Amino acid sequence: MNRKLIGAAVVMSGVLLLSACAGGGTTSSETGEGVDEVASGPRTLLLYVDPVREPAALAYKASVEGEIDVTVEVLGQEEILAKVALANQTGQGWPDVTFNPSNNVGVFQDPLNGYALNLDEYVDSAIIEGYNGSGDWCLIDGSYYCLKNDLAQTVLWYDTVIFDELGLTVPTTMEEFAATAMKLKGTGYVAGAIGDQGYYAGYLWPSGCPISQVLDQETVRINPDAVECTRVIELVQPLVDAGVLDSRGSFDAGFLEDVARQQKVAMNIGPSWWGQFVIRPEDSWAIPAGRIAAAEMPLWSGETTNWSGEWGGGVWVGNSHAPNPQDVADAIVFLATDPDMRADKVTFPGYKPAFEAWSATIATDPYYVGDVTAAMVAQVPKIRQDERPARFDSRGQLGVLSTEIQGSGDIDAATRKFMEGLAELAAGAGYTVVK
Amino acid sequence: MLRHRSKLMGQINGMLMFLPYLVVLVMFAIVPIVMAFRVSLGPSRLYPEGGFGNYLFVFEDFRFLSAVGNVSLFLLIYLPAMLIVVAVLSLLLDTVQMKYTLPLRLAYLVPAGISGSVAILVWYFMLEPTYSPFAGIFAEIGLTEGVQIFNTTNLVYIFAIMAFFTGAGNWIVIQYGSLQSIPQDILEAARMDGANVFQQAFLIKLPLIRKYLVYMLILVFASGLQIFVEPYLISSSVYPGLAKDWSLNQLSYTLAFTGSNLGAAMALSMVMLLVSVIVALVIIYRTDFFDEARGKMKEKTIG
Amino acid sequence: MGKSLTARKRPQRVPLTKVKAVSGKAVAWFIMILFAVFSVIPMLWLILAPSKTQVELQRSAPLSFGSFQGYSDAWNNLMVFQDGRIVDWIINSIWYTGVQVLVACTIAILAGYALSATRLPLRKTMLIATLVAMIVPQVAFVLPLFVEISALGIYNTAWAIILPGTFYPFGVFLSYIYFSTTIPSELYEAAKIDGCGDWGTFFRVAVPLSGGLIGMLAFFSFQVNWINFFLPFVVVSSGDVLTLPVGLGILFSSTPALSPQVGANALPIRAPEIALAGMLVAIPILIVFLFSARLLVRGVLAGSVKG
Repeated sequence: MNRKLIGAAVVMSGVLLLSACAGGGTTSSETGEGVDEVASGPRTLLLYVDPVREPAALAYKASVEGEIDVTVEVLGQEEILAKVALANQTGQGWPDVTFNPSNNVGVFQDPLNGYALNLDEYVDSAIIEGYNGSGDWCLIDGSYYCLKNDLAQTVLWYDTVIFDELGLTVPTTMEEFAATAMKLKGTGYVAGAIGDQGYYAGYLWPSGCPISQVLDQETVRINPDAVECTRVIELVQPLVDAGVLDSRGSFDAGFLEDVARQQKVAMNIGPSWWGQFVIRPEDSWAIPAGRIAAAEMPLWSGETTNWSGEWGGGVWVGNSHAPNPQDVADAIVFLATDPDMRADKVTFPGYKPAFEAWSATIATDPYYVGDVTAAMVAQVPKIRQDERPARFDSRGQLGVLSTEIQGSGDIDAATRKFMEGLAELAAGAGYTVVK
Repeated sequence: MLRHRSKLMGQINGMLMFLPYLVVLVMFAIVPIVMAFRVSLGPSRLYPEGGFGNYLFVFEDFRFLSAVGNVSLFLLIYLPAMLIVVAVLSLLLDTVQMKYTLPLRLAYLVPAGISGSVAILVWYFMLEPTYSPFAGIFAEIGLTEGVQIFNTTNLVYIFAIMAFFTGAGNWIVIQYGSLQSIPQDILEAARMDGANVFQQAFLIKLPLIRKYLVYMLILVFASGLQIFVEPYLISSSVYPGLAKDWSLNQLSYTLAFTGSNLGAAMALSMVMLLVSVIVALVIIYRTDFFDEARGKMKEKTIG
Repeated sequence: MGKSLTARKRPQRVPLTKVKAVSGKAVAWFIMILFAVFSVIPMLWLILAPSKTQVELQRSAPLSFGSFQGYSDAWNNLMVFQDGRIVDWIINSIWYTGVQVLVACTIAILAGYALSATRLPLRKTMLIATLVAMIVPQVAFVLPLFVEISALGIYNTAWAIILPGTFYPFGVFLSYIYFSTTIPSELYEAAKIDGCGDWGTFFRVAVPLSGGLIGMLAFFSFQVNWINFFLPFVVVSSGDVLTLPVGLGILFSSTPALSPQVGANALPIRAPEIALAGMLVAIPILIVFLFSARLLVRGVLAGSVKG
């Protein structure tokens, strides 16, 4: 009888002891455990991808069949940060290869996070050179921590049929763009939708608005009052007020029904994947063949280069805790650059040989008017390099920006709120925010 | 000697029966709190020495006040709606003969399955004009676009509707059950005095079930404070960023998993837990709701 | 109201009180039926939605029926997601909830009996702790539980989800009330006279009479555990260990049904498929609820105060 009492007391004190030992911060257990310990056991890789990249992941899995045991998990892009953080906290279960929104590499490279694998030792320099500088988003503190899956440089997409109908010429400066857009007033046509990431990628970023210009590990420049920001607001607001820029998002069900699928989009600044992913598919805008062309980005006055921003452009990041980092790096190289695999994908590969395979199909595709890759290629070296990966989740705030624009149509208020949020996040992540 | 031994046996048997629950109580209620409290005082990037800096960080976070505001407003709409509708409908049900109420009660229980992720699914389709069965009604009041309904100002109402829809029917049936335990003689006396059905309902029955309604409000408050699933899911799918960090629990989650600040996340969890526990203790000690339950305890110990 | 044959020749005057009573009743019925209709429509929509195709859902009447073929098409499309991941989710939901309900109810009945009918020491403290735990929902504990579960090393396993669900203070409270009030003390006395100890009384007197209690305990425990989202979402990251409600959330953000920005040609999962997945979450609760409706009517709370 007494033994049972003692037993109960032991259990309870054991539990309390456990809580005393294990409280506080990350646990001490180290690298990935289980089957992939050191060299013994089969080689395994865990891949986290979004649905669009699932075919690529499965293609990779098939290509290493028999050598490496690959598991593919599909997640929404918002969840990857949290999943890695969970793994960091529990000290196990890191995904070996992840497909990420571009800023995540900044969060993962942060020494306090420690997830991102330094690719310098494991990736052939020829691969990096193949990007011809366009992969330098991944270059942090002198090393490469990711490979770019694709480049999402913005170009000016336009509908040649509508332009002919209205007698419009393709704008080459932002003033011309605004003027051309104004000419659409009252015609029922629009110059795109602004209540989505396109505003940030196609207007703020190319203009040079300091949204999160990470200068070094301690400082970031965020300044909503900069002229590069205010000129965007001054240009866009009248267009929204006139109704020629739709304040909804490009994927909004209402916008799709009333505008996009009605072939009412005369032009819009959109990323390189816009044609294959948004304009063309049956379930999306379903624009008929022989209408759509792409031109270079319009130039902001006072600038010498007609810059682009990027809408998306994912990056592949590897697991620094993996016991088989070479396998991780090889997987990343395959997924980012393999020409056969990339040829039929919707996005613009950054790696030159893969790009050549891709553009071979697109450049001559009769769906488009002319060679849309010409503009895209021209914009590749013009992706404005001021924006850099940050160790706070800057991408998470983009949704807030879109929501504000959709709700109020007040571009100034939305932009300010967005940037003030980023400044707070930056401060919380230990940066000094400068103007 | 025998009595002493049987008393000891009684104690030990009682403890043995209670032990599994005690283990689970310690393991999954007490230990997590202790551990979380320690983490909340642990080091973080801006406060490497730990301490209450993490709490300060939370209170100063630019999203904290608006999250408090959102949740407060949500509760301010949700709680009175629950109270009024549940009270009125359960009383109305009670004015009618029981056999007629059965189909109604079954109908009221139907929404209980639509909770959490299913609630977002169903309510997105109920409110998005392209899909909604109520599209005609919306058009009448000028709502033809999804963004007119799903925007930041309406979020409070949308989440309140979702929570209300899932919970109200359930509680109506429960309160109706409580009404059945009202002694018939009280109602007879009222009827003799000339009270009609509605007067009986609102002047006699309502005060008698006041306790149960208060208890319902407490539970609804405690769970409403913790709202997470609905705002999180709507922001991660159909309207990205719409309700990002809208509720306190979402902020805690963001701090933990995208802000690399588990200390601050635990600090916020601790604060919310404290609020709920204080409310619980107030109800237990300062109202008479659980008095009988605790009173029974006294009788038994003496015996 | 006396009626004579002659009175029929004149129009009857109905007294005002009767008019009020009748119209009052009509209003009451109207309100009750209106609420019933609003309660049922969304579930009806959910059940009918998978029978239609995506286009039909947008064009035809919301409560129309498509075809039975629609259900199997929707199911086949759902199976495309990660090679039948939805089957994992369904199986997990079923067995996790099953174990939770079984264990939680057993623990709760034992503890409630101990509180009410044995000489358990520190009963008052235990009861207060249970009351507090009853009021604070499990959601409040989720992030702290995450810290503990990762420390215990069961992160990303089924047990990370199952074990916290066995903590059931409301069940303990209900069974405490039940055993204190519903079982007459004479029965306990009789058992003691027959020489039964605490365990004997429990198995021979309490348990046989607790059919209604067990039903109620299982009912509430099932409801809470089946629908649980936040805890599994945080403590498990592998898709094949997750439950159906969380799986549904994954479908939201990974498929075009509710996330058009994911890409129209990525997966064949649209509104009908996701409605089918939602149905699979909602229907079991609905069934359990409808079968247990009479338990609720008997008055869950009534026993806890003057009854």
